[in-house]
Amino acid sequence: MDAPLKELTKLEKLVSNSSAAKGKSPSISDSLESLLLSLKDAKQRIQAGADAGEVCAGLSRTVDNTKKDVDDRQKEIYNSLARFGKALDKRFTTPLPSYSPLFSSPESKAALERTIAQHFLRTGQFRTAEVFIEESGIDISPDMREHFAELHRIMSSLKENDIGPALEWTERNRQFLSSRSSPLEFHLHRSQYIRLLLSSDYNAALIYARANFKSFYGTHSSEILRLMNCLAYLPPSRLQGSPYADLTSPSLHTDLEPMFAKEYCASLGMSRQVPLRVIGDIGGGGALARIEKGRKVMRERKSEWSQSDELPIEIPLGPENRYHSIFACPVSKEQSTEQNPPMMMVCGHVVTRDSLQKLSKAGGNVKCPYCPQESLASNALRVYF
Amino acid sequence: MAGNKLNIEGVMLFEQPFTRVPYENYRKVFRTSQKQIEKELSAVQLSASDLLKKSQTAGSERKADDSVKAIDAMIARIETLKRKLSDLHDSTGHPTLTVLRERTQHLAAVEALQNEADPEFSRWADTRLDRWLVDWSLRTGREGTARQITQDRGIEKLVDIELFTEIRRIEEALKRRSCTEALAWCSENKAALRKIKNPLEFELRFQEFIELARALKQDDAIAYQKKYLLGWQDTHLPQITQASALLAVPPARAFGPYKWLYDPLRWTTLVESFRLSIYNLSTLPTEPLLHLGMYAGLASLKLPACYNHETKNADCPVCDPSLGHLATDVPFSHHVNSTIVCRLTGRIIDENNSPLAFPASGQIYSREALEDMAAKNDGIVTCPRSNERIPFEDLRKVYIS
Ligand SMILES: [Zn+2]
Ligand SMILES: [Zn+2]
Repeated sequence: MDAPLKELTKLEKLVSNSSAAKGKSPSISDSLESLLLSLKDAKQRIQAGADAGEVCAGLSRTVDNTKKDVDDRQKEIYNSLARFGKALDKRFTTPLPSYSPLFSSPESKAALERTIAQHFLRTGQFRTAEVFIEESGIDISPDMREHFAELHRIMSSLKENDIGPALEWTERNRQFLSSRSSPLEFHLHRSQYIRLLLSSDYNAALIYARANFKSFYGTHSSEILRLMNCLAYLPPSRLQGSPYADLTSPSLHTDLEPMFAKEYCASLGMSRQVPLRVIGDIGGGGALARIEKGRKVMRERKSEWSQSDELPIEIPLGPENRYHSIFACPVSKEQSTEQNPPMMMVCGHVVTRDSLQKLSKAGGNVKCPYCPQESLASNALRVYF
Repeated sequence: MAGNKLNIEGVMLFEQPFTRVPYENYRKVFRTSQKQIEKELSAVQLSASDLLKKSQTAGSERKADDSVKAIDAMIARIETLKRKLSDLHDSTGHPTLTVLRERTQHLAAVEALQNEADPEFSRWADTRLDRWLVDWSLRTGREGTARQITQDRGIEKLVDIELFTEIRRIEEALKRRSCTEALAWCSENKAALRKIKNPLEFELRFQEFIELARALKQDDAIAYQKKYLLGWQDTHLPQITQASALLAVPPARAFGPYKWLYDPLRWTTLVESFRLSIYNLSTLPTEPLLHLGMYAGLASLKLPACYNHETKNADCPVCDPSLGHLATDVPFSHHVNSTIVCRLTGRIIDENNSPLAFPASGQIYSREALEDMAAKNDGIVTCPRSNERIPFEDLRKVYIS
């Protein structure tokens, strides 16, 4: 956006009201101001008895000159505006694609409304959620509202360094958390302990540690040992230069919020990321551009991919957005399906069932194309990822 | 969090209307100023030359008085012009420029980012989703929601509530069968519409003509046709010919093409044409930005596994019931290579973390997850899906090439 920004700065200078505004021609307000002075001066001279014919001749010239100055300035502004527009055009060479109406069936509309209502609730935009639910006339279960209200109460407390409400929740959900081997509860206590240490209230920190770390010896013994050993390096200024410097990192506390949200949502069977954000980030982060490019290539090749139910190109995804296993057969390059599932041969290599059959020789033997081992096709094991 | 490089061009694909809308708004401000200047200054020019003529011809005492009066009138005009220009600048010009600057800088800020994992980008993407939701709410008639988001997030300068308020005002007028408002919009944007050869104005004029014919006002209709339709001969001759013929066919006896001309459904078509035209001028897509983003996002993620209760993953957006329903409107994703995600850890299995299979049930997990399980259970591993229980050593190595 460098070029548009540069042109915009020029435009702003040209149209600004201040008389310092530079341009080839004087600013419009200056021109009009000086015309006013000339008019008033002419009036005075006539009133003082000067020859009206002479004064008016001068005045007419002044008016014409002012008009010309103003027109010049307007032309300058017009050109500057046009240059800014061109700079924008140059930056945005591809227009957004036009699609026939998406998500337009009544069921899809309802699903989208539910998604958006949940999004507002989940991201703590409760007032917006209320207005939206009212305007859309949809039903959101009171349970769900209650859950999200609780989540945001706890999150706001965490933001203010108050772990109390979060701890209350982890204690109630200890079984769920331990089934997920979640360190959340321990991390909450750790944050509180470190906070006490860094505020130089060592005594309070020790009392806190004794009272709260006990139940975590089984799962976090080495961590607890470090938390105790770091006492030797206090005060905090010294701790920062010690092997325990990581304990002074603010992320020890700020990481609690996302970690808490993740566990809370998991306890309700919800995803760890905000789903609409994930989808929007992928769609608005290059996927649409790639799909459009793929579409264009297909059109040029006159292939009818729009008939098929699969994108013509692969959209690269980050590891955090890989939610399911995909098995592409190394022989046929086809994705496995329920009808054509992945089969592991005796050697451990995996191909799809169709490929396995194609590789089989008379007698049911199959030679693995990746290692020299030969085995019975019937000994291959259907595997699940 | 993995650091994917930010795909700036992919991000920018959505942003053309973001600067285009205020840009067009500022062009409108400029045109208004141009009209005011032209009107007042030309009048003053005229008075000045008039005054000059009179002062040179007449020779009476009243000359001075008249001149002073004329000059006073000129002063008043210039003062009015000054005030009007400064009002225009303060009320519209300056705020529009501020919006332009803020938006241009907002885009420059994301251009400067390199990585999706940058917390700056996360905030930017939050705002983008807010903007998309405002756009969606305005297009679907939820103005309250749009205003609430805008206010809560403080993004007044980044959304176009006024544009959509204007769209709604004009559309409602059309639904009341009034073309006046839409015609005023056409005249405001005459040059731009002509540049893209947009026929909206003709369609509106044609409709006004049809209404006169419907009311059996033959004379008015003929006068209207002369005044407003004939100018479009070069591009719309067939319709103009049809218009003439329509006068001979009153609504009660209308047939074939004339029946369609009298059809009230034409007003609905006009609403659509208007909407298309105003979107077109602002480079806004016909579909809400949210829909386009979701289409691409859902299609990138959608897999058959999302629709099988055995392979569903609560973290997957498409596996969510509502989003999964929306995803039925988009194609499946396409993959050339295998990616194995461990069902226990949720992490991708790679060479350093090779997959292992339970020998009877064929269930596959990552080595790290199974080693962890074995360490906690005296070397025994249990498959959570099949309940197969075996010593760790009995697991089979799997090779995904
Ligand atoms: Zn093999
Ligand atoms: Zn899924």
